[in-house]
Amino acid sequence: MKFKDQFQFVRQNMKKNKVRVFMTMLATAIGCAFLIVLASVGFGLHDSLIQDTMQNRAVTEIQVHGKETDGSYQALKDEDIDYFESISGVRAVTRKKQLQQSPVFSINDYQVQTMAMTTDFPSEMKAGLELSKGKLPEKDNEIVVGHDFASRLAKSNISDEELYNDQDQVKEKYQYDGDLIGKEIEMKVVQIEDNEEKSHTIPLTISGITEAPNREWFQDQNVYISESVLKEVEQFTGTNRGMITTPGQEDMSSGQQQEDSYDQVTIYAENMEVVQEISDELKNKNYASYSVVSEIQQINMIFTIIKTGLIIVGTIAVLIASIGIYNTMTMAVTERAPDIGIMKAIGAKPKTIKRIFLLESGMIGLAGAIIGTAIAFIVSMAVNIALPLILESVFKEELPPELRFSMIPWSLVLIAAGICLLVTVLSGLRPARRATQIDVLKAMRREV
Amino acid sequence: MITVKNLYHHFELGKKGNKTTLSVLQDISFQVKEKEIVAIKGRSGSGKSTLLHLISGFIHPVKGEIWIDGTKVTDLNETDFAAFRLQHLGFIFQNFQLIPSMTAYQNVELPLILSGATQEKRKAVVQETLRKVGLENHGEHYPSELSGGQQQRVSIARALVLNPPLILADEPTGSLDSETEENLLELIQQLNEEMGITFLIITHDDQVARIGNRTIEIADGALVEGGVIHEI
Repeated sequence: MKFKDQFQFVRQNMKKNKVRVFMTMLATAIGCAFLIVLASVGFGLHDSLIQDTMQNRAVTEIQVHGKETDGSYQALKDEDIDYFESISGVRAVTRKKQLQQSPVFSINDYQVQTMAMTTDFPSEMKAGLELSKGKLPEKDNEIVVGHDFASRLAKSNISDEELYNDQDQVKEKYQYDGDLIGKEIEMKVVQIEDNEEKSHTIPLTISGITEAPNREWFQDQNVYISESVLKEVEQFTGTNRGMITTPGQEDMSSGQQQEDSYDQVTIYAENMEVVQEISDELKNKNYASYSVVSEIQQINMIFTIIKTGLIIVGTIAVLIASIGIYNTMTMAVTERAPDIGIMKAIGAKPKTIKRIFLLESGMIGLAGAIIGTAIAFIVSMAVNIALPLILESVFKEELPPELRFSMIPWSLVLIAAGICLLVTVLSGLRPARRATQIDVLKAMRREV
Repeated sequence: MITVKNLYHHFELGKKGNKTTLSVLQDISFQVKEKEIVAIKGRSGSGKSTLLHLISGFIHPVKGEIWIDGTKVTDLNETDFAAFRLQHLGFIFQNFQLIPSMTAYQNVELPLILSGATQEKRKAVVQETLRKVGLENHGEHYPSELSGGQQQRVSIARALVLNPPLILADEPTGSLDSETEENLLELIQQLNEEMGITFLIITHDDQVARIGNRTIEIADGALVEGGVIHEI
């Protein structure tokens, strides 16, 4: 018997009990829709979290924190940097030495206390650093300041209450409004000796200002100094990185940072695809590293577990619907027993009978999956529109614009349709087997 | 065409642990030649229907052999017997056994569908077969819209449609009035003569037995010798 004929045969049979078949389809559709909508919450939140992670951090960045040697982590040195630069797929390796105190920078009566650090400008430029104004330092006393440095440079004789607005920003009227490029600026560092604070001022010149950071919320008010300025600070404080020694803690500085090591080392990969390869290579060489890709992997793993759990819970709804299919198919077999008997008598193989009933339950399942998917898309859309409005009105807080509560990817549709079809065919299996075992003589005598 | 050798059959009655055996057929042996019409005659409960069911493969004998058209059908499994039935056997039942939700055309078409014939072939063959049984204008009627005689003609058309060499008929006139019975017997004779189809007819009616070339009589599950009524 050809498939087309089997299909026609099943269609005719289904037409005989339209209401019963429709109700069974509806139960399957609701089960399938429940499964999709439930799992779509997992997919939606997963997608939102990944997008959020990707937006907040550079995806090609790998932070290297140190190297494990004999059970302890060692700070990174020039030979490590050379090794990083030799790894294929690496675009740039930036390295910073951070001053262990925040110096005060002053221009006339404007001043700001902020972080100062050394950096390797050629590698920073390769990594994507751009200057909005000026040029890179050429002399030892030249510095580059962060894009937001000027906005923090404020009048020194104003009280803090008056100086800052509600957002903890310096009020515009107290901000430095002159041009910074070429300006002389003084950097004051301090050290405590014999319980007395001593200060040292280093005159510097601003040669450049960095471009605004990509992320709106991020502020760059750092000052990038030269190695010789760092050395001068170290000479004055007598400690590595200019650390201030407090009484009783004189020894803290020794061994914390070695003179030739770096505090912040960041590797920039050429593209996102090689980040994992580079991370793996670093791991093999005992470097402690972190990249957003590894964070995404963790997120993916957690959400895979969550999504699997939701799909399993959703499958229970489909299983409940399958009881309806089992019932419908059992009734169909009982009602059609005489017809099955006649068909067997004239030469229908048991396999053909079984296939007809399995096809019927499969068609109910398929129709249920199609209707269920359509319902799920409508519910998902409604959830994405209504839920943010409800939450915003209840909690009086604006939700992130990229947040999606429900998302239905095609993979979920295929998984749900697959589960739906499998469950419905399995639930039709026993009635179909019963149909093949119908006794021809009893069936023709209407005794089944 | 048919060879039955030392056929035995019994039914087990009662529940497990308290079963009794009812012997139905004992040592039945006979032959049916090609293009013959053979009537198997006997009273109710004589075992004639059981004999037909064994030849049809609806039940399996306890002992003995049945050969049809050179095939030992008693060795076939359920699936193979189903395929054999479809290609080699046609059936006419006492109460017609038509599927009530199908039209006369669809009932006749069913064996062709099961054999995997194309729609074009099916259409031509079904119309031709309905014409042979005089129902060319009744194809779209459901069984409930047809008379008993017409329903039995549909049943004959369904038995004929795959052109089998053998048709097994179980009390084919049992539900018909005498005039319709006469017409139906004429049709069977005509099909035998024109198409060379072998008929094995189970009946308790002498009128039906009379159209056969031979009659085999069964009493109490055993063959009664010398049952020839009419020979051509």
